[in-house]
Amino acid sequence: MWTPLAAVVALLGVGLAGWAGWRAATDRPVILKQLLAGGVVEAVLLVELVVAAVSSLRGDGPADAATFWGYAATTLFVLPVAAAWAFAERSRWSSVVLVVAALTVSFLQLRMVQVWTGV
Amino acid sequence: MSGPPAGAATTATGPGRVLVAVYGVLAVAATFRSAVQILRDLDDAPLAYLLSGVAALVYLVATVALARGTGTWRPVAWVAVSLEAVGVLAVGTLSVAAPALFADATVWSGYGSGYGYVPLVLPFLGLAWLRRTGRGRTPTGPTPQR
Repeated sequence: MWTPLAAVVALLGVGLAGWAGWRAATDRPVILKQLLAGGVVEAVLLVELVVAAVSSLRGDGPADAATFWGYAATTLFVLPVAAAWAFAERSRWSSVVLVVAALTVSFLQLRMVQVWTGV
Repeated sequence: MSGPPAGAATTATGPGRVLVAVYGVLAVAATFRSAVQILRDLDDAPLAYLLSGVAALVYLVATVALARGTGTWRPVAWVAVSLEAVGVLAVGTLSVAAPALFADATVWSGYGSGYGYVPLVLPFLGLAWLRRTGRGRTPTGPTPQR
């Protein structure tokens, strides 16, 4: 039930990475709008994790619980920490940091699905 | 580790900010992975899992040292980043030459192939960045703020 949300988060992450990548390529720093977009990703992520937790409590849980919830916690922190780290830098490099962070979130969604299904 | 460090943080600004971000991701990934491995399955592959733990620790130190970037943190960063370069080359070679030693993969196995070879590239970028920011220490050094 939570995997479609993981796909949404992954796509939003790629989208945010693309936006930040464009700003990096055109030599511009991270802007507030991008932080708001990151907030949207976080919100969907939060819903996703709640759905996954409810599913787990009902008996349909991850194949490897420790790894899954470790990834889940990590995913939640990546964007806020990276955004704070990036926003302090008013150069194109802040945009590159956001690219790294957003792609990390997307990649972690893939890993979470893998760990859940045990593939 | 959020927020800007006070004063001039030579390795933490410009491209260094990206370097620290990538280091941070790798440090968290390696720490978490090795923690699960060591706490749960240490008996299965003791050498591999303890090496994962060491690698994770080195990445954590490198991340903090590069994020600080000044004063005594610079030599600390040099040591940590050099250790990584040696680690990934040594363990990478060993894992190819004597795979029997490693019952399971570490961050450094196969020259970091499990992590998109980021562990192989990163220490050399780190060393290059440390070298570049160390030279002269003038504002004209690495990428000026744009």
